[in-house]
Amino acid sequence: MQMDDSKEVQRWIGVDENANQMLARVFMARPFLLPPPLHRVPLRFGNVVEILGPLPSAKTHILIQVPISMWNEVEYGGLDHLVVFVDLDCRFDIMRLSEMLNHRIAEAGNRDHDETLYNLCMSRFLYVHCYNSFEFLQTLKTLHYRLQKEKEAHGVNSFLLMIDSIGAFHWVDRSSTFLPLRESCRKTLFPQRVSEAVVQEIKKLIQVHSMLIVATKATIFVDRYSTASSEAKCLPSERFSKNVTGNDQHIQYREYMPSAWQSFVTHRILSILLRAIMKTDRSICWNGCCRD
Amino acid sequence: MAPLKSLEQEYPLIDSSFQAFCASHDIFSVEDFILHDIDVLIAFADKLSASRRLKQGINQLLSIIDALHQPLLNGLDLLQDVKRNKHVLSTGCQGIDALLGGGLREGQLTELVGPSSSGKTQVCLKSASTVAKMHMSSVVYLDTGNSFSPQRIAHFVGQSSGSVFNNQTDRGPLQKVLDSIICYSVFDIFQMFDVLHQLEINLRSEMLKSDHQVRLLIVDSISSLITPILGGSGPQGHALMISAGFLLKKLAHEQNLAVLVTNHMVGGDSGTSKPALGESWKSVPHIRLLLSRDWQSNICNFFILKHPSMASGRAASCTL
Repeated sequence: MQMDDSKEVQRWIGVDENANQMLARVFMARPFLLPPPLHRVPLRFGNVVEILGPLPSAKTHILIQVPISMWNEVEYGGLDHLVVFVDLDCRFDIMRLSEMLNHRIAEAGNRDHDETLYNLCMSRFLYVHCYNSFEFLQTLKTLHYRLQKEKEAHGVNSFLLMIDSIGAFHWVDRSSTFLPLRESCRKTLFPQRVSEAVVQEIKKLIQVHSMLIVATKATIFVDRYSTASSEAKCLPSERFSKNVTGNDQHIQYREYMPSAWQSFVTHRILSILLRAIMKTDRSICWNGCCRD
Repeated sequence: MAPLKSLEQEYPLIDSSFQAFCASHDIFSVEDFILHDIDVLIAFADKLSASRRLKQGINQLLSIIDALHQPLLNGLDLLQDVKRNKHVLSTGCQGIDALLGGGLREGQLTELVGPSSSGKTQVCLKSASTVAKMHMSSVVYLDTGNSFSPQRIAHFVGQSSGSVFNNQTDRGPLQKVLDSIICYSVFDIFQMFDVLHQLEINLRSEMLKSDHQVRLLIVDSISSLITPILGGSGPQGHALMISAGFLLKKLAHEQNLAVLVTNHMVGGDSGTSKPALGESWKSVPHIRLLLSRDWQSNICNFFILKHPSMASGRAASCTL
C-alpha cells in the first residue's frame, strides 16, 4: 500500500513533457480559428460566439467560413473537429459550402488528395434543420447520443456547433405565450422558458463534449432612422450614387433574446455590410469587435 | 404535439402514476416535457419508490421525441439530395434566368420586390406558363388580388410556340398548360394556411405518382395577405408571418418545390419606398429580387438584393 502511494506521488510530480513538447502540443491543439480578420479573437472550447447583424450582413457566410478555414489547417488538426450545423432559418445552401470548399482545396493546391480530402470534409459536416422551437429543443436533447455515435464513427473528439440563427423563432414563441390555458398560471413567459431550456441543453453538451458554439443572430428591430432599415428603398442607380460614408456605422439594434441566452454568450461580433463594397465581387466585409 | 394523457393508450408505461409524477413538475404535455431538464427529473424520480418504472416512462417519452425530429445529415448526403431532387426551373424571363444561373431552384423561396406595375405578376404568370409548358409539371398559383389572367398565360404560351390560338386545332398545348396551373383565390392568411396544409397533405400522399408533379408554388402577392395582420401591439401578426414563411420553406424543402412570392412596396420615411414586409420577413426568403420597369422602353430590370451564394448588387434586364 505504502509503495503504491509513493509511486503515485512520484508519478504525479514527475515530468510529463518539456516546454518544447508542450509548445508543440498547444500549437497542435489550437482549437478554432475564425476567418480573418476575426482570427485575432482568442477562442477556446466552451466559448459561445454570437455573430450579430442586420439582414443581409453576410452572417451565414462568416458562419460557413468557420469550418472551411478550420479544415484548411490540416496540419494543426483542423480535421479533428466535427461540424454540426443547426439550421433554424432553413436557408442553408449546401452548394455554397461545396463551392467554397472546392475553391479552398484548389487554392491549397495538393491535387492528389483533392477528392478524398473533399469527401472527408463533407462527411464531417453534419446538418439538421428545425421548423420550430420544440424541434430545436428535441434536436439538442438527443444531440448528445448522436454525437457520441459520430465520435466513434469518425474518431474525432471535438465539435463545432453552429446555430443559424438563434432568434429565428422569436416571434412565434412570443405569441405562443398566450396559447395554452395552463400557461397562464406559470410564472415565466414562454420565450424565456424556451431560451433557458436551450441554454441548459447546450451547457450539458459543453460539459460532456469539448465544443465551441457559434451562433448568428439577426437584428430584427432596427432603429427607424438608420439607413439599414430602408435597404431597398430606392432604385439601384440611386443607391450606389449615395454617399457611402453615411451613418451605417451607427446601426441601432434592440436586444430581443431572453437574458438566459444573453448571459450565455461569451463573445459577440457585430457584422455590418458596408454598402460601398457591395458592388465589387468580393462583397463581404465585416467589422470585428468583441466583448469578453 | 400531444398531452401525456392521449399517449396512455399507445404506451402503457405512461400510466396515471407517471402522469401524476409529471403533473407534480408542471408537465402535462410532450412540449412541457421537452422544456424540462431531464436530468433533474430523473434525479427526482430516483428519490421515489417507483423510480424504476418512472425512469422507464421517461425513457419512453425520450424515444417518442427521438422519432419526431429531423435526421442529422452529413454534407455528402445533403449534396446528393440537392443534385438529385432540387432542380432549376426556367422562368422564361431571360433576365432572371441569367441572373440566377438558370432560374428558380427547387427547395428555395424566391421573393420579387417591386413597386406597383413593375412586372411582378407578369413574372409570376410567365414562370407559371414556362414551368407548365417546358417542364411538363403542375403549378400551384395562389392569387390574392384577382390578378391571375388566363389570357396572359395563353399569350405567353402562344409567344413561345409561335402559333395563334383562335382556332380549335391549336388549343391542345394551351389546354395542357392551363390544366396544369391550379389557381386558388385566397384573400386572407388563414385561407392561405388552409390551402398550403391541404397541399402538403396531397403532395405527401402523391409522392410516388411522379408523372405530373407539382414543382412550382406561386403566391402573388404574399404581402397583401400579411400586411393586414401586422401592426398593433401584439406579436401575433408577426408570428403568423414567420409561421407562413416556415411553412413555405418546409413545403419547398420537403416536397421539392420552387416557391415564388411577391412583395409590394410602400412609402417609407423621407419619401422613399420600401418593401411592405420589412426587417422580420427578410429572414424568410432565400433570394430577394428587386424589380423596376423603365416606362419608355418597357424593359424590366432585375436586381439581386439577397442571394445565398451570389453577391448582391448584380443586375440584369429583359422585356416582358
